[in-house]
Amino acid sequence: MNHVTVSGNGGRKMHQILTQEKSIYIQIHEMIENDILRDIILEEERVPSTNELAKLYSINPATAAKGVNLLVDEGILYKKRGIGMFVDRGAKEKIRAKRKESFYRDYVSALLCEARRLGITKEELKEMLFQER
Amino acid sequence: MEERMDVQNNVCKEGICCRGIGKHYGSREVLKGVDLTLEKGKIYGLIGRNGAGKTTLLSILSAQNPASYGEVLLDGQPVWENQAALNRICFSRELNPASGLGGTHMKVKEYLKLAGMYLPGWDKAMAEELAVRFGLDTGKKIEKLSKGMLSMVSILVAMASKAEYTFLDEPVAGLDVVAREQFYRLLLEEYETTGRTFVISTHIIGEMENLMEEVLIMKDGSLLLKENTQELLDRCIYISGRKDDVEAASREHTVLCREMLGRGAGAMLLLKPQELPDPGADLTVQSVNLQKLFVAMCGEELT
Repeated sequence: MNHVTVSGNGGRKMHQILTQEKSIYIQIHEMIENDILRDIILEEERVPSTNELAKLYSINPATAAKGVNLLVDEGILYKKRGIGMFVDRGAKEKIRAKRKESFYRDYVSALLCEARRLGITKEELKEMLFQER
Repeated sequence: MEERMDVQNNVCKEGICCRGIGKHYGSREVLKGVDLTLEKGKIYGLIGRNGAGKTTLLSILSAQNPASYGEVLLDGQPVWENQAALNRICFSRELNPASGLGGTHMKVKEYLKLAGMYLPGWDKAMAEELAVRFGLDTGKKIEKLSKGMLSMVSILVAMASKAEYTFLDEPVAGLDVVAREQFYRLLLEEYETTGRTFVISTHIIGEMENLMEEVLIMKDGSLLLKENTQELLDRCIYISGRKDDVEAASREHTVLCREMLGRGAGAMLLLKPQELPDPGADLTVQSVNLQKLFVAMCGEELT
């Protein structure tokens, strides 16, 4: 596991830890998305290169590239030849839309499954969801 | 058959390719007909238990040891007694003063000087820089070095050789955790700037799994598996739950190991690509790391 607090990309920082829960390239993919959602990397800005990511997290550059290329396929990043990868205009909205779409599968179905296991009724669940925080 | 040869010939145009190489010492077979292609520009991790044949494989690939049968090719040319091919390969072995082999009475700097004479791509500046970086006392004799320092000398020679194909045999075995991290960074730096091919054997699998693009698993003298590390891990999962649910979900897949406890069960599954188990049942699905996968494949003593 690599704890990383390295300054890069114009003094901005990436602080995240790679875990063993998920594929490394999926984690790279999600970390960049999170940085875009949090305005750590802005649209039309350069994201760290494959080699920078590889060094940062001690991973094979091919694995880092796999994560980055997923984002290119999804139209979130685009390549400027010889310069690097950049965040596309509208990327933030795209990520939001995509995550909304998978929200049910990623969060709600797991929630329902655990509720079923514990015998929590629909009413109780509703109450929990709408109680004030 | 003809078709198969064609495929092999194609692959062999670039990279190291071996066909059915084996090695026996008397009646003891330590390597049993290994077919392997190493592509240019990748980091390979070589894992296997002690005695699996890792060192023998590396020494045959670099023609330091003759194969009993089979052939090793580099870009289509046999490497055996082929200086042009051997100039592009470096196998930096573990230094072991206890082995009684020559050279260990030398001072580190004399040893490095000798390495520079034998290795055509030797980067003297890099060797000097790394000696400083590792804090190596080059005035010391090899036989007086600690285990960690011996590992550093092998790493230094491997890196400064600048060989296109570089093999390292348990380079981190004697190193403390900080020095190991230092080595992983150095490896990535060197790989990034040169694109050299590395084959690295290790027992510290957890630390290397994200560095190796492909993993080679050896067992009892055979190559059990060669696959892209991430793809392999993507298709390996551990499921647990009620025994009948686990059994039902395991049916279509390769089961690497099974654990039972009362009504519960767990199973490590190797899925075929693009195949996921039925998510209908109430099962916990967890990902598996390379070390666990390796133990499941090669650790039958534990069951």
